Amino acid sequence: MDSVNKKRRVKPIALAFLLIVGLFTALQFFNQPLKGNPVTKKIEAPREVLAILENSCFNCHSNQSNLSWYDKIAPISWAVNKDVKRAREILNFSEWNYSAGEHQGKMYAILNMMQSGKMPLHEYTLLHPSAKITTQDIETIRKYTLSLSSIAPPKNELKDIHQNIEISENNKSSKFPVSPNGVQYTDDYKNWKVISMSTLFDNSIRVIYGNDIAVKAIETENFHPWPNGSIVVKSVWKQEKLADGEVRAGEFVNAQFMVKDSKKYTDTEGWGFAKFSGNDLHPTGKTASFAKESCIACHRQLAEKTGYLFDVPMKLNTERLIKNLQK
Amino acid sequence: MKKILFITLSICALFTACKIDEPDKDLKRVVFDPGNLKFISTSLNTTKETSSALYGNQEAWESLTNENNQPKPNSKFKLVTWKYHENPQYIGGTITGELLSVETLKTDKNGKISYQIQNTSKTENTHPTQEERIQYITSYKPVVRP
Repeated sequence: MDSVNKKRRVKPIALAFLLIVGLFTALQFFNQPLKGNPVTKKIEAPREVLAILENSCFNCHSNQSNLSWYDKIAPISWAVNKDVKRAREILNFSEWNYSAGEHQGKMYAILNMMQSGKMPLHEYTLLHPSAKITTQDIETIRKYTLSLSSIAPPKNELKDIHQNIEISENNKSSKFPVSPNGVQYTDDYKNWKVISMSTLFDNSIRVIYGNDIAVKAIETENFHPWPNGSIVVKSVWKQEKLADGEVRAGEFVNAQFMVKDSKKYTDTEGWGFAKFSGNDLHPTGKTASFAKESCIACHRQLAEKTGYLFDVPMKLNTERLIKNLQK
Repeated sequence: MKKILFITLSICALFTACKIDEPDKDLKRVVFDPGNLKFISTSLNTTKETSSALYGNQEAWESLTNENNQPKPNSKFKLVTWKYHENPQYIGGTITGELLSVETLKTDKNGKISYQIQNTSKTENTHPTQEERIQYITSYKPVVRP
């Protein structure tokens, strides 16, 4: 009697098991393997730096992915493939066709991502604990990255951290250029308040202006999220050293815009990015989604605390002091 | 009675001990308001780790575009100097922090120059002469913004 009952109980369990196995097998028919792109130009760096990158980054950020067997099983593989595809678009160590200045910019981005604990992704290291980076690894990357600063870039090579974007040649006919994502250049910013001033490792000097909406958002600490209509513009110049060592703004490099429109720029946290370079203010980007593959990657990971903007004034002054000095 | 008094006093003492320590309570993110003046130029002093913004009216701007950089009558300049720091959100970058001083340079309708400096306590006392500062402020050239 007992054995009959057992048999009846076992049957549904076995059936469910078979069903799951069958489902998994069926899913594998919809499992497209990752496209194996060739290695056109591998990143060049000291052996110890390469070892860290290969161990912790290459699986997603190169064409030399060495995925584990469980990464290749659907439905996990769907998520993995999507992540790898996106990771390669943003940074690909196998297609490293960069100048020395661009290489330096990429290394700073990598250092910042590692230092802030944003990369490698937590969900990745959970399944791949060997890819975790140590403080020693970060130190190695830092030393190498800082050593790149001592190599002065050629004169006409000063670029910022958003370098690898192709420049579009359109929009030259209109009075004010327009970025492919619809952000229009305006010189209104010349009348706006300066919200902060900054420099970058590329020997540039920068002044950041905000329109009234942006300034009010800063002063009231209301930038989670930034109100629609906020516009922040950053003017970038090459540093020009005077005889006494003081630095002034030299040749104009570009004007970088961030325009807040949460309905229009849904892929980039509500910000429309644009960069207008040189004296002709030619816009950067070939397609409307250029910022999705470049700008937002860093802004999203590293500047989340200040609503995805890097140069929000620091919280270091008292209101009374400023009012006295502004008199 | 003694017990009640003891308990009451203990509770009061607890409250006095619970001072909420917020060191940045009075600190704000501040944007300098130059009034009706416009941004003209910027500089960086890597020894003092300061960054300055020069503002001015139309006359001031015109004065600095001239070859001799002599301030025109009715010019008004403001040189605002900040301490800069490593950008806390990006290694490899700096950003302005504490406001250190505001220097104002004015000329009246006859071209007579007046100079004034307002410091915060954090500013070093280097005491350059007024003439040196006037010469320094008028040495700026407007930045290039196409």
